[in-house]
Amino acid sequence: MNIFIEYSLFIYFLPLLAFLVNIFFGKRLPRHGDWVSIGAVLITLALSMAMFAGMLFSYDPDFRVESSFTWISLGDFVIQLGFLVDNITITMLLVVALISSMSHIFSIKYMEGDPLYSRYYAYLSLFTFSMNGIVLSNNLMLLYMSWELVGLSSCLLIGFWFAKKSAADAGMKAFMTNRVGDIGFFIGIMLLFTAIGSVSYSDIFSGVANGKITGTLLTFAGVGLFFGAMGKSSQFPLHIWLPDAMEGPTPVSALMHAATMVAAGVFMMVRLFPIISPDALVFVAYIGGFTALFASTIAITQNDIKKVLAYSTVSQLGYMIMSVGTGAYVAAFFHLVTHAMFKANLFYGSGSVIHAMHHALHKKHDHETDPQDMRNMGGFKEKMPITYWSMLVSTFAIAGVPFFSGFLSKDAILAGSLSFANHHPEHFLLPVFGFGAALLTAFYMFRLIYMTFHNEPQMPELIEEIHESPKEMTFPLVLLATLSFFIFYTLPYFNPFSDHGWFTYVIEAKTSLVHGAPSAHAIAEGIHHSHLPAMIISLLVAGLGILLAWQMYLKRKLSAERYANKFSTLHRLSLNKFYVDELYERFIYTPVLKLAGKIAFLDWDLYDKYVVDGFGKFTEWFADLIGKMDYDGLDQGIVDGTGRSANRLGDILRNLQTGQLQNYILFALFGVILIVIIQTMV
Amino acid sequence: MIENYFPILIVFLVAAGFVFVSLILTHLVGPRIQNPVKMMPYESGVDQVGETRIRFSIRFFLIALLFIIFDIEIIFLYPWAVVFNDFLSMGAFIFIEMVVFLVILAFGYVYAWKNGALEWE
Amino acid sequence: MNNLQSLSYYWPELLLVTTILAAVVYDLLTKPSESQRVGLLVFAGLVLTLFANWFTSAERNITLFLDSLALDPFAQFFKTIIIFSTLFVILISRKSNELRIYRTGEYYTLIAIMVFGMFLMVSAIDLIMVYLSIEVVSISSFILAGYLKQDQRSNESSLKYVIYGAFSSGLMLFGLSILFGLTGTTKFFEIQNVISGLDTSSHFALIIASVFILAGFGYKISAVPFHFWTPDVYEGAPTPVTAYLSVAPKAAGFALLIRFFHVLFTDAGLFLESENGIPTIPWPQVLAGISVATMTLGNLVAIQQSSVKRMLAYSSIAHAGYMLMAMPILSGNGVFAIMIYLVMYLFMNLGAFFVVIIVKNKTGGETFEDFRGLGWEMPLVGIVMALFMFSLTGIPPTAGFIGKFYIFAAVIKAGPSFYWLVFAGAVNSVISLYYYMRVVKVMFLEGESKEEHIFPSILESALIIILAAPTLFLGVYWAPIAEWITNSLRFFHQGI
Repeated sequence: MNIFIEYSLFIYFLPLLAFLVNIFFGKRLPRHGDWVSIGAVLITLALSMAMFAGMLFSYDPDFRVESSFTWISLGDFVIQLGFLVDNITITMLLVVALISSMSHIFSIKYMEGDPLYSRYYAYLSLFTFSMNGIVLSNNLMLLYMSWELVGLSSCLLIGFWFAKKSAADAGMKAFMTNRVGDIGFFIGIMLLFTAIGSVSYSDIFSGVANGKITGTLLTFAGVGLFFGAMGKSSQFPLHIWLPDAMEGPTPVSALMHAATMVAAGVFMMVRLFPIISPDALVFVAYIGGFTALFASTIAITQNDIKKVLAYSTVSQLGYMIMSVGTGAYVAAFFHLVTHAMFKANLFYGSGSVIHAMHHALHKKHDHETDPQDMRNMGGFKEKMPITYWSMLVSTFAIAGVPFFSGFLSKDAILAGSLSFANHHPEHFLLPVFGFGAALLTAFYMFRLIYMTFHNEPQMPELIEEIHESPKEMTFPLVLLATLSFFIFYTLPYFNPFSDHGWFTYVIEAKTSLVHGAPSAHAIAEGIHHSHLPAMIISLLVAGLGILLAWQMYLKRKLSAERYANKFSTLHRLSLNKFYVDELYERFIYTPVLKLAGKIAFLDWDLYDKYVVDGFGKFTEWFADLIGKMDYDGLDQGIVDGTGRSANRLGDILRNLQTGQLQNYILFALFGVILIVIIQTMV
Repeated sequence: MIENYFPILIVFLVAAGFVFVSLILTHLVGPRIQNPVKMMPYESGVDQVGETRIRFSIRFFLIALLFIIFDIEIIFLYPWAVVFNDFLSMGAFIFIEMVVFLVILAFGYVYAWKNGALEWE
Repeated sequence: MNNLQSLSYYWPELLLVTTILAAVVYDLLTKPSESQRVGLLVFAGLVLTLFANWFTSAERNITLFLDSLALDPFAQFFKTIIIFSTLFVILISRKSNELRIYRTGEYYTLIAIMVFGMFLMVSAIDLIMVYLSIEVVSISSFILAGYLKQDQRSNESSLKYVIYGAFSSGLMLFGLSILFGLTGTTKFFEIQNVISGLDTSSHFALIIASVFILAGFGYKISAVPFHFWTPDVYEGAPTPVTAYLSVAPKAAGFALLIRFFHVLFTDAGLFLESENGIPTIPWPQVLAGISVATMTLGNLVAIQQSSVKRMLAYSSIAHAGYMLMAMPILSGNGVFAIMIYLVMYLFMNLGAFFVVIIVKNKTGGETFEDFRGLGWEMPLVGIVMALFMFSLTGIPPTAGFIGKFYIFAAVIKAGPSFYWLVFAGAVNSVISLYYYMRVVKVMFLEGESKEEHIFPSILESALIIILAAPTLFLGVYWAPIAEWITNSLRFFHQGI
């Protein structure tokens, strides 16, 4: 078997093994079994790095290994499951393994002392297992099964502190919202399966290329599949679960809700890009772009440090989705990878800060203050230098400052949207969404940095207790901060303004297989032309955003409160996330529940009471009669009778077995004669 | 062609019929007086001597079995000996074949010996 | 090919004979208390035979020893099944308390001899070889059934088995000789040629011959009305022997049945409607009738049993009935279905009997009373037994369901004339649910929850799990088995 498939099998099954060990025996192991999961994930990391090295060594954009086995074969109905390993897979595996390992290590200190420690690690392993399933799958069936499992792991981990009602609710919300998206996903899968008769990617790709499914049906399938991505990657209007998911432990947020799980939607779109029709892609682009802008408008007013990062994630995911929609899906994948690094880093940093706040508040016996509220922070720069510097690096990256990785990937996305708008002038809104979000992103990220680390401490009594976090927590910070520099993605080139490098070489854009779609070459051409204008505009908006934040929060030349009061409606809307949850509550949840209540009323109170009672007397009498017929006739006679006659028949037949050999031989002889007679009579 | 065997069927039916008829008739018509003397086993007119059921030593049975086995072994040797010359062209194989047969039975003999089948007491 | 050349293909059987001889000698050398070691020797010998079987691959059909034995993938498949069931039974026998007080050297030797006989049975393509192989297997089973010399029931069952077996052999021999008389040859394929040339005057003789031979085969697979020995023998014999008899000789019997009818009748065109000069013998309908009778009798009488062991005996009769359902078809589908059913049946039946042994070791009895509360006292055993019961009934997602599914599918595909057979099979499955669930009910719904749980020894637990895991796993993913069987059948229809 191919070495890549071998490694993939280990990568796939080791976390599952760790999950089973920890969930059943974790409590009895030394150190509650965290080393089982950590060991498994580190081996996974080593294997992924080996595969990654292999990929760089062969440096082949068309590299592809596939291996499947037949799961069910009943005549014509055949379902095959298997693995597909190509450059995208290997890169994604490395990302998942890296961030997962970082989360595992980070959690050693972050979750120290938690009574359900072993279960936490078991769930982390389960998540790693299912996420790898999504990445490695070569068919829609395994993808869907792993998809659901990832959703389940997410629910379990978000609601890990299930004693707290808000956490448990958040877990359920995440799962429910995912499910809504999955309905569309499943419809999309079924459409494809019915038209093409197989679930494996290669069959579907060739099926679409041969025109087995076209036109509106194909668009519907594409939109259906995208619904799954909407749920998983939290796009509007299914974005509501991600901010609430911050109830979970911060390493979980870093792992799932920054780097991997939410990226699964983007990953799936990147994988299936060749079969998404241009009409579906437009829909995708708009949803993505709108989400990008929408989420960032909420992020600028949030005071909880994790909520800012959460909305930032939604917004960045919107970027990636929009990029897929405009055809620059390699840029989307690029941003996925860079975003994983710096967003996870930001989450770990916030975790480090929150951890420090917790300790300080605990020391002061203060259980009222919210340790996650940035208004209680300030001036942490000297006290937590490592955290500060690593978060600063990542903030530069996300804001799109040159020399950092985020600049390159964002640039590619924005160039893609600009090029798309150039070719389709009616879609001018997309670059507006993109650049607007870029401005706001730069603004709120630096706002976060200034409020947390600069200025005077807002709670001076705490500041002596604030100190840097232990090395298990700072190590991931430093590592990921390092990976936020541009150089790692552009080797062997050293140009910080161009995304040429190993990444864009091995991850090559493939032309869409849908008839009438632009070729990969054409898209690349367009991006190339729009590259320079996009870079200039993005530098401008980034600079503007940083400037605004600097003035408002560091220099205090402009007052945030004044602007908040001037645009109080807007401010309130933004602070309350545009009341989307409340709108859903008002216009969807409540009406549905009320409708259910009304129908229940109709059924129980009206129908039951009047109509049924009206029949009641007659029915009672009639039922009596029927009952007698049923019980004595049907039940006793037929049903029970069958049972009883089976019983009695058995009783009679058992008497055949007399225990006397002579009878046996006699019966056998009779049987022979009988069969001979039957044969001859015919 | 089966019609040729028709007379045999008649003979069979007559014979069986005779037997059945006489049995049934005697059962129906005959007197039913019990008499102890009638029930005693017949031993040429004299009174009975000894039990009817004697226990035979089981060793006779074992010896008989062993005899049968080795007797048949010898019987198999005869045809082999007859055609031995004709098949000599195959070389030693034909000899070894029979030796293997004898050896396998020899194992059985050793087994019977060790397990005391040849002991008389 | 002649004898000398055949030897080089005969390795598995030669290894087996060596094992037998070595076991005889080893038995003489060991003390009575160590006689279980012979079992290990036989086990090792069988494992070697298994490997030899796999490596003596047949890329085409060949006949050995002047056309009396066939070496083809079909025979190899059955040989593998037989060895696997024997290996399990040897392990199970070591754990049984019934055999503990006896010298078991001969026991294992006889099992090895029986395996050899079954090897011959599945490869036989000559009338004399058919008779010989069945006799070898039968005689070994006679002795094994009566192995508990101090137990009256064991002796009784052995005696009944002997006499009944002799009677059936006699009938079968008579049938075989009529067939020989009709055709003038004992080789299957030559018989096949001659039969297709016979005219109507031999019709009656052919019927008699085939019915009598069927009596012999039916005795081996416990088909009604030749099954009467089964309950008595299964009940009296030591339980490991019962487990063995219910799986391995049945599998070998089915192999022989399939081969016999396939070669002699299908290819000669007597099975299905044909327009040759020979008027059709309604074998499909007769076999279907036998199948229904077997199923029904097995299931109905099993309801009445108070001994779990006897109930399992009747249940094995019923399962033979299910497998016989696919006999009238005898197309590729039908044979495939029977073979896959045998594989699934092996695991669940051996497992069920093993649980009976464990219970008997613990409580000394094998009635439903002894199973009461087992689920609470010995949870591992209880759960696994429940799994076996579900699988025997044929409830998804267990292996038994897959077996039944294929059988039903094969019968349905054969056309509307057999729909009544499927209906009968379905009704019988429902009836069987009752007595299988009775075991589950007694184990779990009676008796109270106990504080301390008893587990069988490590080896027993491991063996039980090894039997239970495929019962569950094969119900979900059975593709490798299906592939193996399809491979084994790839030469089957071509004949030689």
